[in-house]
Amino acid sequence: MKDESRNEKTGIRDRKSEVLQVRMGEGIVTGEPHIISSLGLGSCVVVTLYDIYLRIGGLAHIMLPDSSQIRMRNDDCGMRNNNPKSEIRNRRYQCADTAIVALLEGLQRKGAMRQDIVAKIVGGARMFSDYESVSTGIGEQNIASVRNILKRERISVLGEHVGGHHGRSVEFHLSSGRLIVKAIGKADREI
Amino acid sequence: MDDKEMLSEEQLDFLREMMNIGAGNAATALSQMLHCEMNVEIPVVHVLAPRETPSVLGDPSLPTACVRMGMVGDVTGELYFVVPDEDKVKLIHLTERAMLRGIGVSSPIHRFSASPLPGLDLSVLTEIGNILAGVYFTAIHDFCKLNICHSVPTIAIDMIQSLLDEPIVALSSEVQGIILIENRFVLGENHIRTFLLVVPAVQSMKVLVDSIEQARMACSEG
Repeated sequence: MKDESRNEKTGIRDRKSEVLQVRMGEGIVTGEPHIISSLGLGSCVVVTLYDIYLRIGGLAHIMLPDSSQIRMRNDDCGMRNNNPKSEIRNRRYQCADTAIVALLEGLQRKGAMRQDIVAKIVGGARMFSDYESVSTGIGEQNIASVRNILKRERISVLGEHVGGHHGRSVEFHLSSGRLIVKAIGKADREI
Repeated sequence: MDDKEMLSEEQLDFLREMMNIGAGNAATALSQMLHCEMNVEIPVVHVLAPRETPSVLGDPSLPTACVRMGMVGDVTGELYFVVPDEDKVKLIHLTERAMLRGIGVSSPIHRFSASPLPGLDLSVLTEIGNILAGVYFTAIHDFCKLNICHSVPTIAIDMIQSLLDEPIVALSSEVQGIILIENRFVLGENHIRTFLLVVPAVQSMKVLVDSIEQARMACSEG
């Protein structure tokens, strides 16, 4: 989906954005002016971190609130997986605690200054509204965990679109830091 | 993970056969409910890794109707009846038609115009999900002697990926599978595609697989 073209008059290549898909349990950090898209968030939570001056950003599609409460099959939420090539599939992005740390490290590795990093949170819905008694409430737990960790890491939250009973898709524009939230039957909303 | 890791080829065949009988019963039930002659193709049955499941059901961002039920009894877990948007319109149209016929108004079967009576769509789909869950569990009971009941259904219409978030997350830390049954109901020239997702709880998959193996052995001996 790379969309690069040369300006007809100057012959200089315009750097246009590429759309990167991030699926459940995945995450990505980039300094390029790309659009990071994540579709169909239910109880999962998307956290975006963005350096407002250097325009370096990262997005994680988080499934679970806490890595210490679950048994992971292959490795401890990928804590030992330091191969940068496997960055996007890194298991660290599955849980809120490890994912936010991974994003922060990724941004700082690319030169982002910690005091310039801001966060946005989307998702954490309870999809079946009348299922309260049986539902695990994983969405609420995800939101609470993400908020706690961001507070602990002293990252300010610029926008939230969380909870409720509907799914969401997000588009994170790295060139501007805008985060567009889409939902079926609702107008797109920017946070 | 593919089908073979969870179930042997023979066990999978046996599961398909059970589900085939379930599908036949489902077609009969739908025919009676909708006052039309509904046939059914041989269902496609797969055991999928949780995270692969939404992509098999189509575009993760398209609106999809999903009826969620709890499974209780010998096998616990959850059950999802999934109807893509276009097929939902057809099912609701057929229901409307059946209801109109009940008061003496006939309408052509081939025109699937979307004009659902308010509130009808959700309750119809919930009821169809309820009925299909019942007939499939009956088929499983007849072969495997497993008593499974389902709890009161609840419905939501949204992006399929978001609707299946919770069961996928719940299973993602374990080696687990989701049993997917794809049904194609045939009505004249029209097809209606529905999916039934059986999501056994962690300890229940083994119960189910063991019972399938026992029933299969009993059948092959008999």
